Amino acid sequence: MATTDQLIICEHCDCVYEKVTLAKHQKALCTCCGGVLQRYNGLSVEQRLALAFTAMMLWIFANFYPVMSISMKGLKNSATLWDSVLALSQGPITFIALVAAISIIIAPLFQLVLLIWVLSFALVHRRSPGFKVCMRWLETLRPWSMLEVCLLGAMVAVFKLAGLLDVIPGIGLFALAVLSLMLIRIAGRDVRDLWDVL
Amino acid sequence: MKSQATDGPQDPGQASIKTRRFSVSLVWIVPIVAVLVGISLVVNSWMQEGPTITVTFKTGSGLTANKTEVKYRNVVIGHVSEVKLSDDQKSVNATIKLDKQAESFTREDSQFWVVRPRIGAGGVSGIDTLLSGDYIGADIGQANARSKHFIGLENPPPITYGEPGKRFTLHTQDLGSLDIGSPVYYRKIPVGQVVAYALDAEGKGVNIEIFVYAPNDVYVTENTRFWNASGIDVNVGANGFAVSTESLSSLLVGGIAFRAPEYSPNDQPANENKTFDLFEDQQTALAPPHGKGQYLSLRFDQALRGLKIDAPVEFLGVEFGKVVSINLDFDAKKRSFPLNVGIMIYPQRLGQAHLKMLETLKHNPDDEAASIRLMGSFIENGLRAQARSGNLLTGQLYIALDFYPKAEKVVFDPTARPVIVPTIPGSLEQLQEKLEGMVNKINQLPIERIAGNLDSNLVELRKGLVQFNARTLPGVQTTLADVSKTLQSASSTLADDSPQREQLNDTLNELGRMSRSLRELSDYLGRNPESLIRGRPDNAAPMDMKAPPRN
Repeated sequence: MATTDQLIICEHCDCVYEKVTLAKHQKALCTCCGGVLQRYNGLSVEQRLALAFTAMMLWIFANFYPVMSISMKGLKNSATLWDSVLALSQGPITFIALVAAISIIIAPLFQLVLLIWVLSFALVHRRSPGFKVCMRWLETLRPWSMLEVCLLGAMVAVFKLAGLLDVIPGIGLFALAVLSLMLIRIAGRDVRDLWDVL
Repeated sequence: MKSQATDGPQDPGQASIKTRRFSVSLVWIVPIVAVLVGISLVVNSWMQEGPTITVTFKTGSGLTANKTEVKYRNVVIGHVSEVKLSDDQKSVNATIKLDKQAESFTREDSQFWVVRPRIGAGGVSGIDTLLSGDYIGADIGQANARSKHFIGLENPPPITYGEPGKRFTLHTQDLGSLDIGSPVYYRKIPVGQVVAYALDAEGKGVNIEIFVYAPNDVYVTENTRFWNASGIDVNVGANGFAVSTESLSSLLVGGIAFRAPEYSPNDQPANENKTFDLFEDQQTALAPPHGKGQYLSLRFDQALRGLKIDAPVEFLGVEFGKVVSINLDFDAKKRSFPLNVGIMIYPQRLGQAHLKMLETLKHNPDDEAASIRLMGSFIENGLRAQARSGNLLTGQLYIALDFYPKAEKVVFDPTARPVIVPTIPGSLEQLQEKLEGMVNKINQLPIERIAGNLDSNLVELRKGLVQFNARTLPGVQTTLADVSKTLQSASSTLADDSPQREQLNDTLNELGRMSRSLRELSDYLGRNPESLIRGRPDNAAPMDMKAPPRN
């Protein structure tokens, strides 16, 4: 069983491969289905943690500064992410508001908190308390974190409304953009490397 | 290094190794930058944050938390962060977060009001808020003291943003059709407006506060008179029909006009907050000042139908006062109903006469006792009041004060207050009395006897006429017949074919011929006077051959 540590299974076709060490700009592909097995990961634990902190900061910006403000003939309105969730909850689709809140606010927040928790211990080569639970939750949360979808939606709204109203993208939108890219990078599948490291 | 080179190759030295307890990679710059950006944003907004104030409004209409802005000169200086009912549920407290730069709006006398669309007679305001939503207008105060709680105004203050100009107070009996915002005109140019009004302390008048904008505020001088320019002034005079009004808008919302009298020497611009009287119209406003009035009481024994309050009081034909009260009284002694008429006279209106009189008599108009003594001496000299008919058609009366040296002497009571001026019956009453006397005399005439005599005289006359008809008329008839006969014979004598007339014609012809021959003779004699002695010469031309000289 000790050898299983060095094995990797393609998640698309269940072929088993041996792990390889990759150099820069390399990735391992499944010979059976062509799916990506491994990617070169240039981030050390320390870098990962630093980026996680940055992402935490950006999350705060994205949630407390308005994503965009619109104005038309003196009428002015601006909204943060939380305002948009509240606006949804007042409509007939309250359930969607809940989904939106989870996918754009709560899930990324949990991801970041868990990452910081796990990585802070990993920095000193220790398994954090509840390491297994945390790692599993990180995996579970990943599909629920839909910041990039939200970003696309916000950008579509900005471009669409720009013709009708005066739209000013706020600090929140930029923070959201950077945060969504960063989350992909640091909370991706590469986190599983921690299993091997620790 | 040189020594090493010369000494030849040596074994490499052992480099000392330092182990750092903590190695911090450069990647941490990224979160630090992010944190710094965050801190800078927070600090920036904290720096921008000004004082938080509470403004109390009657209603929260148009106020939305985090949306309603506070503007000064249309620049945002803060926003409403919270709208809540007050603890006693009687008003609404709006919490306002002011910007840093708007710190001075916490001065104690700063004003806040909600700007919303308003349509009034004076105009339309706040149209822009129809689209942008209501906002709170602010005006900066002057006081040094700071405050956190303000009472919001229900209406926008008419004068904002430290507009240069002067405020004045006008005192009047009633507000009329004036309102806040009513214009103030100077020579029909709007130069200011009414900013406030309130009852005076005793509730017996109204104090109207007006604001006159600079630079026209210098035209409000010490002598300036203000009058109510509301409404139309219609004059019907000998020159026709004249309608005058200050402006169309003053018809609707009222207005105040002011002007100094044409002759006002040494006039100085009035100080701020000076109090003026507001007159009813231009005529009374620009009339010479009344001066101090004096109340006199008159007691009339006859009915005074047609005497109205405000009827003029004249002295020797000059109007100088008016009737202020008419009361019916009961005289217990005489068992009669006299009329008490109160009049107000303004001796200053007599002008020159008043001044000279003061000078001559060394009279101080403020000395009440002296003026009563003066009045007493006038009454001694025959000053009497009389109700005269000013208009025979309408029967309106006015009071005339005049000197009647022959009037009955009246004892003047100097202690009576108000001063009582004795009266004499009015001119119409005197006329009535005379007419009555005349009618009485006519009544006393023995009309019946006169009629009886006249009747018997007429009977005699008829008898005489009958006699005349019976006796005298026949004689007259025969006489007339004779006369007619005589006339007939005369006319036959003068007829064309009568022998008398022919004879007369012949005689006249003869006479003509005779006169012709006489003329010839005289002509001949004129030419030949010698023929008188020598006779007619033979060669004398026959008379007929020569053209006789025509005379």
